[in-house]
Amino acid sequence: MTVSPPIQPVPPDASRWKVFLHSVIHMPWTWRIMLGYLFFMLFLPVSAMLVKSGTLGPGEFWRIATSPIALSTYDVTFTTSLMAASIDGVFGVLVAWVLVRYNFPFKRIIDATIDLPFALPTAVAGLTLATVYSETGWIGSLFAPFGIKLAFNRIGVGIAMMFISLPFVVRTVQPVLMQMEREIEEAAWCLGASSWQTFWRVVLPPLFPAILTGVALGFSRAVGEYGSTVIISSNTPFRDLIAPILIFQRLEQYDYTGATVIGMVLLIISLLMLLVINFIQAWGKRYDG
Amino acid sequence: MKLWQSAGKIWKRAMGWVAIGLRLNSSRGFISLFLVGASLSLAVAACSPGNNTATDASPTGGASPASAQKQDVELTLVGYAIPRAAYNVIIPKFQEYWKQEHGQQVRFSQSYGGSGSQTRAIIDGLPADVVHLAVGVDVNKLVSAGFVSEDWQKRVPHNGTIGKTTVAIITREGNPKNIRSFQDLVRDDVKWVTADPKTSGGARWNFLALWDYILKTGGDDAKAQNFVTRAYQNVAVLSKDARESTDAFIKQGQGDALLNYENEVILAKQKGEKLDYIVPEINFAIDTPVAVVDKNVDRHGTREVAEGFVKFLYTPEAQEEFIKLGYRPLEDDPGKLKELNYPPIKTLGSVEDFGGWDKAQKRFFEDGAVFDEIRAQLGR
Amino acid sequence: MTDNTLESSMQTSDNPAPKPAVEKKSWVPVVLIGIAVLFLGLVLYIPAINVFYFAFHRGLGPFLHNLTEPNFISAVRMTLALAAIAVPINVIFGLATAWALANKRFRGRTLLLSIVDLPFAISPVVAGLMIVLLYGRQGWFGPFLQERGIQIVFAFPAMVLATLFVSMPFVAREVIPVLEEEGVDQEEAAYTLGANYWQTFWRVTVPNIRWGLLYGVLLTNARAMGEFGAVSVVSGNIIGKTQSLPLFVEEAYKSYDTEAAYSAAVLLALLALVTLVLKEILERKTGGYRKKMH
Repeated sequence: MTVSPPIQPVPPDASRWKVFLHSVIHMPWTWRIMLGYLFFMLFLPVSAMLVKSGTLGPGEFWRIATSPIALSTYDVTFTTSLMAASIDGVFGVLVAWVLVRYNFPFKRIIDATIDLPFALPTAVAGLTLATVYSETGWIGSLFAPFGIKLAFNRIGVGIAMMFISLPFVVRTVQPVLMQMEREIEEAAWCLGASSWQTFWRVVLPPLFPAILTGVALGFSRAVGEYGSTVIISSNTPFRDLIAPILIFQRLEQYDYTGATVIGMVLLIISLLMLLVINFIQAWGKRYDG
Repeated sequence: MKLWQSAGKIWKRAMGWVAIGLRLNSSRGFISLFLVGASLSLAVAACSPGNNTATDASPTGGASPASAQKQDVELTLVGYAIPRAAYNVIIPKFQEYWKQEHGQQVRFSQSYGGSGSQTRAIIDGLPADVVHLAVGVDVNKLVSAGFVSEDWQKRVPHNGTIGKTTVAIITREGNPKNIRSFQDLVRDDVKWVTADPKTSGGARWNFLALWDYILKTGGDDAKAQNFVTRAYQNVAVLSKDARESTDAFIKQGQGDALLNYENEVILAKQKGEKLDYIVPEINFAIDTPVAVVDKNVDRHGTREVAEGFVKFLYTPEAQEEFIKLGYRPLEDDPGKLKELNYPPIKTLGSVEDFGGWDKAQKRFFEDGAVFDEIRAQLGR
Repeated sequence: MTDNTLESSMQTSDNPAPKPAVEKKSWVPVVLIGIAVLFLGLVLYIPAINVFYFAFHRGLGPFLHNLTEPNFISAVRMTLALAAIAVPINVIFGLATAWALANKRFRGRTLLLSIVDLPFAISPVVAGLMIVLLYGRQGWFGPFLQERGIQIVFAFPAMVLATLFVSMPFVAREVIPVLEEEGVDQEEAAYTLGANYWQTFWRVTVPNIRWGLLYGVLLTNARAMGEFGAVSVVSGNIIGKTQSLPLFVEEAYKSYDTEAAYSAAVLLALLALVTLVLKEILERKTGGYRKKMH
């Protein structure tokens, strides 16, 4: 069932091609806007990149994409992003929950500042994180006596990624939480469920798609992010060099083609990861109703 | 301050409309609120940069083909970030000078950023008339892209060098690790910070300086490579660019030493950073080049004024401003150096010792070249 | 996970015997709020306070001086203009997309959703590079544009394109979960009762999705104002002409004007948070979510 007006029935004897044509012509306007915009803003630029990276032969493409340093940066970027997004997933839900359900002092201010990571220019974000988490910084100096180093290594990169992707989780979960009917929870309570049970069985399932969306968004943002992570990383190859920096290195050598190769690799891996997350979400929803 | 007051008034009035809109039911209220927000922001937009660019652009459009008629001209200066403060002073002086000499008003568009990024932007269509870049190799890139003619170094004094500086080693206060020369960077107990030659064009100067140090102290290329490899294994942070390496060292306390350019150290000190530094006696000449972008000046009809501007940069008046920012004087005059408190340098290597930037770039920094070999051994 | 293990693990980890709800209420929120605030403090507030510290540690004077600089004011205008264009366009796209994709089942839906998310995953530098590859001097449309004297790259249009690109999916991604949680029952009821398409949209759908839409707008706005990477590649960074606020910050920082950089960053953060005033008003005027919460 759809919100948009039903598509006109196709004549029964139509061929496949005609069916396709028919559905294109009678596409609802929402689809036209979406596809038109996607074509112009996303498909066109991505294909420009694709064509550019395609000017290298497959052998050269493979060589640039799988050099040992490149492989290690994929590892750093994707595992750290996934970790950061998952941690944000847990704490982001908690923050959203607290902000929607409880009243406490300064709540509005806290709510207002969740978007801060977007508003701060990435270089400033990176600098302040590096300063605060370095051994001499406000937070880093608390951990330094225990031999824990929080900046200029992978942990630092992870912290920067957590910082920049936090708003995604909170802001995707928040509206759904607000919209949720509280009566159901209360009913569950009245029927004797503990609050944990209520949370796991009643609150979490409808929230789950939103959480996954938030995590997916946070993850993909963390993969692409460059300005802030590069500052808190020591950029040592095989240790904490992140993948987007390879693109910048190629650009510094005026090697646009090589830059697009790395860009394509990141794009494809992110797309696959997004697909997996969105599949889990779609699959989870099947058992929902 | 007026701007903020009027903004405040607009805001109040807008909120008034919002309040009226919201007396309707809630969904309509939301929409009207949203529309008001959107139209308000559009209004802000309409009265700002759109107009701004329009008014700026129209005289330019008229002026460029007609510069023979002595109308206003517009000159676009594209540079790397550090000399900006000098240009802030030099440009008004030049405008005055040019008006007196040629009766022409020169307006400037300026853009400052990473040297490599700026070069790429020009190749992709940023209409620069004059460039001041951090590394000669970037101008060479403009030459091979057909923007600057090959004889650019011959048309101006000092081979096109406008800002001269050298490598400095910045240490912690009081130099507790007693770091005196480049040799100390390979010590086991020393960790140091530098920008990554892969992402910062300027950091290639540091690399060459280390290599050159071994050659100048009697070593050969094999020894030099060994030395540089060991030195880079001691690097605590390979920052994206020189500015970030300064902060990694000072603000974030990484490493025992920092390799940066003497002029940036002096600039940082002027801006209130506290730091101790030494300038090694065996050092390397860092020459930042200036060039007229021939292809663009011919198209804009700004050749005369562009060349006039470059010439003006070599006048003592303009040079003084560069020196104030921490660059060394172009003339090698020991008396003047002493007077300005620049530490003396005994042996000064230069990129010409490596056969010029094109050869150095190919040998050390291209894909799979020497630095890639060194880098492959770093984090392992 | 089976129900039993779930239950037991929860009970052992929490408290063995479930206490009455009333008593629980007293400490659970406190603990949860505490953890949330601690987390936010570590990740968000302490770094943010550090920015404020650097902006103001020489007193208010330098800060105010920076704010009155003409180049700075033009950068502020440019940033506001970018946001003012990017937000409405991306709202239209986002609503259309959300409506097209939410509560639908068809082959390729997951793929389409992932494609909509993709702009986040594309490194901003690459996003800028793609625009250059299309509209730059050597780009696909470069010769065509040059013949006609149209400047897109290193001018305002490319900055708009870059901003639109990086903030593209927010509205769609915020509205889709809300639409899915809400279901389509109300819309269907409205149809059955004879409401037409537009009536249903304005009277039923928009009020239902207003929180998602609002957060989408907030995020779009904040991102549009704060974007550096993609915009820097395509803007040319010409002072007073194509320099947005994040570019101003970067340049000030690079030329060791650290205070100017930090104070501009503070202002940028505050500007982006102004949209929250809208949220506040909306909450008050429409009774907010409390209507649903009793």
